[in-house]
Amino acid sequence: MALLEIEHLKKYFPSARGTVHAVDDVTFSIGKGETMGLVGESGCGKSTLGRTIIHLLESTEGTIRFQGEDVTRLDKRGLKKLREDMQIIFQDPYSSLNPRLTVHDTVVEPLMLSKRFEGDALEAEADRLMDLVGIEKRFRMSYPHELDGGRRQRVGIARAIALNPKLVVCDEPVSALDVSIQAQILNLLMDLQEEYELTYLFVTHDLSVVRHISTNICVMYLGQMVETCPTQELFDHPLHPYTKALLSAIPTIDIHNQKERILLKGEINSPINPKPGCRFALRCPYATEKCHQPVELHEISEGHFCSCCRLNEIN
Amino acid sequence: MAKKKNSPAKKQGAGSERPGSFSYIWRKIRKNPGAMLGLIFVIALFVLSFLSPYICKYGYDEIVMKSRFALPSLDHLLGCDEVGRDILSRILYGAKYTLSIGILSVAVSCVLGVILGAIAGYFGGIVDTLIMRFLDVFQAFPNILLAIAISAVLGSGFDKVIYAIGISGIPNFARMMRANILTVRNSEFIEAATSINCTTFRIILHHVIPNAISPLIVQVAMGIASAALSASGLSFLGFGVQAPIPEWGAMLASARGYMRDYPHMVIIPGLFIMLTVLSFNLVGDAIRDALDPKLRD
Amino acid sequence: MEHTKSNKKELLSVRNLVVEYTSGGEAIHAVNGVSFELEEGSTIGLVGETGAGKTSIARAILRILPDHATRAVSGEVYFKGKELLTLPENEMRTLRGKSISMIFQDPMTALNPVKTVVDQIAEGIRLHQKMGKAESIREAVKMLETVGISEDRANEYPHQFSGGMKQRVVIAIALACNPELLIAAEPTTALDVTIQAQVLDLMQKLQKDRGTAMIMITHDLGVVAGVCDTVAVVYAGEVIEYGSKEDLFDHPTHPYTQGLFGALPDLTKNVKRLSPVEGLPPDPTNLPAGCSFAPRCKYATDACRQAPVGMTEMTEKHFVRCINCGKEA
Repeated sequence: MALLEIEHLKKYFPSARGTVHAVDDVTFSIGKGETMGLVGESGCGKSTLGRTIIHLLESTEGTIRFQGEDVTRLDKRGLKKLREDMQIIFQDPYSSLNPRLTVHDTVVEPLMLSKRFEGDALEAEADRLMDLVGIEKRFRMSYPHELDGGRRQRVGIARAIALNPKLVVCDEPVSALDVSIQAQILNLLMDLQEEYELTYLFVTHDLSVVRHISTNICVMYLGQMVETCPTQELFDHPLHPYTKALLSAIPTIDIHNQKERILLKGEINSPINPKPGCRFALRCPYATEKCHQPVELHEISEGHFCSCCRLNEIN
Repeated sequence: MAKKKNSPAKKQGAGSERPGSFSYIWRKIRKNPGAMLGLIFVIALFVLSFLSPYICKYGYDEIVMKSRFALPSLDHLLGCDEVGRDILSRILYGAKYTLSIGILSVAVSCVLGVILGAIAGYFGGIVDTLIMRFLDVFQAFPNILLAIAISAVLGSGFDKVIYAIGISGIPNFARMMRANILTVRNSEFIEAATSINCTTFRIILHHVIPNAISPLIVQVAMGIASAALSASGLSFLGFGVQAPIPEWGAMLASARGYMRDYPHMVIIPGLFIMLTVLSFNLVGDAIRDALDPKLRD
Repeated sequence: MEHTKSNKKELLSVRNLVVEYTSGGEAIHAVNGVSFELEEGSTIGLVGETGAGKTSIARAILRILPDHATRAVSGEVYFKGKELLTLPENEMRTLRGKSISMIFQDPMTALNPVKTVVDQIAEGIRLHQKMGKAESIREAVKMLETVGISEDRANEYPHQFSGGMKQRVVIAIALACNPELLIAAEPTTALDVTIQAQVLDLMQKLQKDRGTAMIMITHDLGVVAGVCDTVAVVYAGEVIEYGSKEDLFDHPTHPYTQGLFGALPDLTKNVKRLSPVEGLPPDPTNLPAGCSFAPRCKYATDACRQAPVGMTEMTEKHFVRCINCGKEA
C-alpha cells in the first residue's frame, strides 16, 4: 500500500490578475521508504504542491490519502495528528529558522509541543536529535546568524524529524548551499531515510540531485503534471518534449560528451487564467492544434505516465 | 586546532549576542558620544527633578515679590518669573511632568498601536481593512490637533494629557507594527512553526512579535521626543497640566507677554524643551544606526 | 578554431593579485596572490564556492571594489600591456564598458527600473562611441535583436521582462561596445535550466562571432565544462589548481578539486553516497599558516601546515598548489 496517494489535486489562488492555477490536476502515489522527486522550473507549482500535501495550504479540489485514509479535509484534532506525521524542510536555511531562538530552543520546540517528552527526557531527546544530524555541542546555544548555511540546514532537519514523521517534504533543501555542503546534506538525508524508513517528497529544480536521491520522479510544468515514472526510466526513456528539453539543458561535467542541447523558444509564461490544453504547447517544437484540447495522463508503459497527446507522432 | 579556529561562529566574537538585542544596541550607543550625552542629559534631568525639593534653594511655587523678573544671578541661577518664582526650581520641578508625559503617552500609543497593528498584520483581510481604515481617519488630522480635540473632550489634567497624546500617536505605531508583521509572517520559520503544531497564539507571541518589535525601539525614542513637545504644546495652549504645576509649555505660555523685556523667561524653558527633544532624537538615531544592517561593523 | 589558440596574443595577465578588506578593525584576506593569463578570444573559468574570492578578483580587475571596505589591493593586472591597478581613474573609466565589461548575477539590480531597455543600451553606446542619439538608439535596437529580443519590446521597462529576458538585456548592454574582455559573474545562477541553456548558448555564440575573451565566474562545474577553455579553481582566495579544461576535468589533481567532483551528483554514474570534502572553508580573517586547504585535507602532513605552498607544474601548463601531488606523480 502506498503511504501517500494524491488524486486530481488542485490548488488555485485568487490574484489581482485572475485565478492562479498553481497546481492543476496532479495525481501520483509514493510508497513507504521511497523518494518522489518533484521537478520543474520556477513557477511550476512544485513548492505549492508540497505545502498543499502537508496541509500548510488548503487544497482546492482533489483527494489526499495518507496511509489509506482520506485526509483531504480535517478538523483541528485530525490536523494536529497529521502534522506530526508530515514534516517539511525548507529551502532557505536563513529564513526558515527563527532568528531569536537558539539552536537548542528550535529543536526543543516541536518535542515540547507534542507533549511526548518532559524534563530530562526532553533534553536527552533534543541532544540525541542534534547528535543525529551532526550539530556539534559548541553550536547548540548559538543563534542561527552565527551558523553557516549547512549547519542551519541541519537544524531545520532536526526540527523536521523531531516528531518521527513518516513523510518529509524537502523543499529545495540544498539549492541554497555550496556543492560540498550540498553533498553533506544529501548524504545526511539519505542516511536518515535508511535509518528511519522515511518517505521523502523531494522538491527541486536540479535534475542531477533528484536523480541521485529519488526512486521516482514527477515532472511539472506550470502547474500541470507532465510526466512521472521511476527515476532510471525517466533518464533512459524520457517521453515528453518538455522532459527531454529539461534533461538536455542540464550542464554536464562530461567534457568529451557535451550533448546537443534542445533549446526551447520563449519564456515560461504564467499560470494565471490559463487556456485549456497543454501549457507547454506555447514553447513546444511539436505543438499543433490538437495540443489545445484538455490534457490527461496516459500510462505509456508500466508505471510510466505522460501527458503529451502527440507521443506516437513525435517519438 | 586549526579547524576550530576557522569556524564562522568564532567570527562573531561577542558570544551569543544577537544583532538587535538590547545588549547589542547598548554596546552601540555607548560608542556614540552624541547619544551618550543625550542619555545622560535626560537621566540627570529626571533625577534632579525628583530631588529638586531638597536641593533647590527656593520652592517652585515660592513667591518672592522683590525678585520679580530677576535676571540670572548667583542667587537665582536662571532668574525669576513675573511673580518672583525661581525659574531653575520651576524647570527642574516641571521636568518630571514633561518627561513622564512623553514616556507614558508613548507607552500608551506603543501598547495599543502594537496590539492593533499586530492583529491587522497577522490576520489580514477584513480585520486588517477595518482597523487600518479607522486609523487612517485618525491620521488625517495633524497629531497636535487631534490631541487638542481629545483633551477638549476629556478635559485637562496630567492623566488626560497622556491619553490625548497617547491616542493620537497610535496610528504611527500600528502602521509600523503591521508592516513588520507582514514581513515576518511570510517567513518560512512561521510555516515551520505551523507545521510543528504551534497554536496561533504561540506563533504570534513567540515567533512573530519578537521578530517584529525591534524596529519599534527607534520609533519609541523618537516618539518620546515628539510627545514631550506635544505635551508642552498642549499646556502652552492651556489644555495641558494646570497651574501651579510648572510644566515647561505652560511656563512658556505665561512668559509670552514679557518676552520683549525679559527674554530669559522664554528662552530658558524653550531651551530645555529643545535640549530634551534633541536628546531623545540623538538616542533614537543611535538605535536606528545600531539596527541598520548596512551600518553594522 | 580552438587548436590555433596558442598563436593568439595574450589579452589579460593577472599577477599575484591580493585584495584585503577590512571590517570592524579585522583584516579579511579575500584574494591572496592570484595569477592567471587569458588569451584573446578565449575563456577562463574561475570556479569556487561562496566566499572563495572569485568576485573580488573580477572587481579588482575592473577596479570597482567598495572603497570604504577595501584595505589593500596589490599585484599587477596587465590588459593589452597596460597596468590597470595604477592607471589614472579617467583612463580606467574609458576602459570600463568599452574594452572590459561585466555581467552580474542578478539582472534585476543591474538594470535601471525607470529607463526603457533600449535607452539603457544606447546610453553605453553614446558614452563610448561618440554617436548621436538617433544613431545610438538604432544601434541599441540592433543589439537587442542580436540577443533575441524583438524591436517592438525595445521601449519596454525592465519590470515587463522575465528573468531570462532581463539577463539578455544585460548581455546586450555588456556587449554593445564590442568589448575585448567580458567578465561574467554567475550570469545564469538566478535562471531556470532551460533558460540558462538559452542564455549560455547566446553568450557562446556572441563570443565566437565577436572574438570576445571571457572570464566566467561560477560555482557550477557543468557550466565550466560547457564554455571554458582554461579553468582556475579558487579556494580561500588562492588558485589551487590551474590548467586546460581537459587537464582539469580528466585529471583533477588537487584534493579540493577532487572533492568538488566527488560532491557532484553525476547524470551518468550511479553512486550510493556522494563523497564531498568534510568541513568548511577557512575563515578569511584567520587563514591557516600553511596550505589553506590543509585543515580539511585527508592527505595533509605537518609540512603542509607549516609554510605556504607554491604551485607545482604537473604536466605542461597544469599547475597544482599542493606539495603532496608532485611527490606522488
